[in-house]
Amino acid sequence: MDNMLEMYLYETNTLLEQLDELLIEAEKNKDFTTNDVNEIFRSMHTIKGSSAMMEFSSLMEIAHHIEDLFFYIRENGLDSMDESHKNELFSLMFQSTDALRSEVEKIENDEPLSTNIDPIITNINSFLKKISGSKDSSSDSGSADGEKTSDNTADEQAIAIINQELAGAPDSDLPYFIRIFFEQGSGMEHLRAFMIVTALRDIELDFKFYPEDVETNGDSSESIIENGFYVALSSQENVERALRVIKEQNSVETYEVMENAALKKEKQAPDTSGESPAENDASGNASPAASPSPAQKAPAQKTAPSQSAAPAAHNSAPAKTSLISVNLSKLDSLVAIVGEIVITESMVTSSPDLQNLKLDNFLKSARQLRKLTDELQDIAMSLRMVPVSGTFQKMNRIVRDMKKKLNKDVRLTIIGENTEVDKTIVDSIGDPIMHIVRNSMDHGIEENVEDRIAAGKNPQGEIVLSAAHTGSEVIISISDDGQGMDPEKILAKAERNGILTKPASEYSQKEALALLMLPGFSTNEEVTEFSGRGVGMDVVKKNVESVGGTISLSSEVGKGSCTTLKIPLTMAIADGMEVSVGKSMFTIPIANIRQSFKAQKEDVILDSNGNEIIKCLDDFYPIIRVHELYNINTEITSIEDGILLWVETADKSYCLFVDELLGEQQVVVKPLPSFLGNFNIKNSGISGCTILGDGNISLILDIRTLYAAFYNQY
Amino acid sequence: MSAATVENTTFDGTLEGVASTERFLTFSSNGLNIGVSTNYVIEIITNHMITMLPLVPDYVTGIINLRGQIIPIIDIRLRMGNPSIDNTSSTCIIVLNINSVQIGIIVDAVQQVMDIDQSQISPVPVENQQKLINGMVSSSDRSVILFLDCEQLVQTF
Repeated sequence: MDNMLEMYLYETNTLLEQLDELLIEAEKNKDFTTNDVNEIFRSMHTIKGSSAMMEFSSLMEIAHHIEDLFFYIRENGLDSMDESHKNELFSLMFQSTDALRSEVEKIENDEPLSTNIDPIITNINSFLKKISGSKDSSSDSGSADGEKTSDNTADEQAIAIINQELAGAPDSDLPYFIRIFFEQGSGMEHLRAFMIVTALRDIELDFKFYPEDVETNGDSSESIIENGFYVALSSQENVERALRVIKEQNSVETYEVMENAALKKEKQAPDTSGESPAENDASGNASPAASPSPAQKAPAQKTAPSQSAAPAAHNSAPAKTSLISVNLSKLDSLVAIVGEIVITESMVTSSPDLQNLKLDNFLKSARQLRKLTDELQDIAMSLRMVPVSGTFQKMNRIVRDMKKKLNKDVRLTIIGENTEVDKTIVDSIGDPIMHIVRNSMDHGIEENVEDRIAAGKNPQGEIVLSAAHTGSEVIISISDDGQGMDPEKILAKAERNGILTKPASEYSQKEALALLMLPGFSTNEEVTEFSGRGVGMDVVKKNVESVGGTISLSSEVGKGSCTTLKIPLTMAIADGMEVSVGKSMFTIPIANIRQSFKAQKEDVILDSNGNEIIKCLDDFYPIIRVHELYNINTEITSIEDGILLWVETADKSYCLFVDELLGEQQVVVKPLPSFLGNFNIKNSGISGCTILGDGNISLILDIRTLYAAFYNQY
Repeated sequence: MSAATVENTTFDGTLEGVASTERFLTFSSNGLNIGVSTNYVIEIITNHMITMLPLVPDYVTGIINLRGQIIPIIDIRLRMGNPSIDNTSSTCIIVLNINSVQIGIIVDAVQQVMDIDQSQISPVPVENQQKLINGMVSSSDRSVILFLDCEQLVQTF
């Protein structure tokens, strides 16, 4: 049951996401294409079917009514609607998908579904009434139930026909089609098709074929590549005979038998249950494109929950069928095991038992093993990488909604959406990016178009969302060409809020901008619906830092502002410096280390509380002795014997005193057991641990919380 | 894993033999015989390198790397308020999985596995209530076995 629910949620969420993208795109063009309408119709049909099966009635009802609406639109053509109707339809659709999504969220969170969905259904119905006027009475506008059952078969057929239209099947009065695809890039498809025609003629078969001009028209190749080559036949028996011939043809990649759905509808033949025995199993190769009638073979749909759900798989483009969805926890355990293998491998090859032995063959194999494990690790890591496009696309929707609400004309430009980042990181940067985009929309872009024109800018505002790789980091920047942030205003506001720590005149521009990210700061005088609740940028900053990233702001008055996020590609692997304190070993993230140096006794100054302070590059920093903080017995207690590491995080900078540096290495970060959460271990300066080559554990220090732990002790 | 120290002698606590019996692994700690349900026991390990953790209560000895899994270790002596002793040859770690929380406990020695009729387990007298013990039973050889309250062991504070 859980599995089914998971499948359902995955499928529904994917459909809703696709739908959102489609709607955004359609709205940009201010019109629906026939394809769009068909696609929405199909998606809704699937959601309706699977929701009904899972007994989520509110979802089913909403989907059902949208489906009705689009059934009408499809039947009557898009031209039946005028401009205002279309605008209304867009709003209605966004509203409905939001309603669906909120219901799905409720299911995900195990909350009860809302029972009152009447407003949205009334909206849909009244819209349907409006566009249908009085001429149509068949589409229901009153009762929600009642006609569901009678509708169903009609729906199935409608879908089959849509699919057939999409597949480009020709009109024919023969009941069976064989659809043939040639191998990609085989060339001269029309001649290959004609060869099939000749071969079929040889066995004296009665058939028709489409396109009909394959013999003479070279351009027909294109339609064959796209839609396939169709052979229409009169009976099941003939189909089988034809298949025997087709199988023998060269360069036929796939073929499938389908029934003429259009014809079927006319005849209402009782025996067309969608079964065609001569299914293309023989080729062992599922057709890459849509197959209309046999719902049960849709390859992408591993566990098609119901008959009615299956047709949705057809809209997936050929490229998508090579994707499978895997539970994230399975991937995590794969990555964990690969991490183990890497460690174990180095345990074996550097085993003390092997020292002083001359083992040529062993070393050779060991080198080979290392190469393979490295490769394995790279692949395992890449599995978790997903493009940021999903997150970026969501911003389209936000910009669209705010555009309407705020009445600002803004376009969103997305650059580098294919940049890949670790899945957990993608999930956690969605909210920060959304917040920043909202800020740009709300505060960045000018209120009045006149202001923009007066400043010599394009009346249409622009927000650029870009992502790019740089080595081990991803840089995401969100920039707008709005009014920019005025440091004077920021300082004045900060002064009023009492968060200045020194006289306002002493703040540099950079420092002033950094004030924006302090808790309780909002430059907008008025609190708006979208931003300006005063919990803005500090939360963003926290979120970004929680995945090990940094955030920086830059802005020029009148030109616009830019927010840059630097985010590590993955949290699972980090570059660390191994240090020893007594018998314990610790790993300090390289990113946090500014410098390591030996100090003399005279360099160290004591403050009034007796804490040690040292001067680095004209500034004074506190010294934290790790052995004292953690009560570790070590012989190295004098400053001269050990080594100082100057470390830094976002807002803290200090020196750590350790016994010895052991060396730099890449470590696989492992979380500490959850049991230890009982002891507040996260606040004692330890963020995780890693297993060293010899099987020992090294604790990873968290520079930020370590500082807090140090000061809480006193 | 060293199962050598565990003798698989079963103890038939009931004459009927059909009553609801449960298997318990018994170990000694500070002179007490303590039983823990075998449902919780994963394995018994010896001589494992424990990595110390800073700023935790003294009974949390540290963490170990058990074939890639990081498992916290608790000294059952210290947890029960008794003084700790140096490791002996019989000292070992019992790895438990309690409601999918993995934890290792350091015990003085592992004794045996026995079947105990649940109806024979009596509650600890109120005035003698001890931490982490939720029942007791007297076995045939006049010794008393206390039962470890595993849930309490991993409880959040």
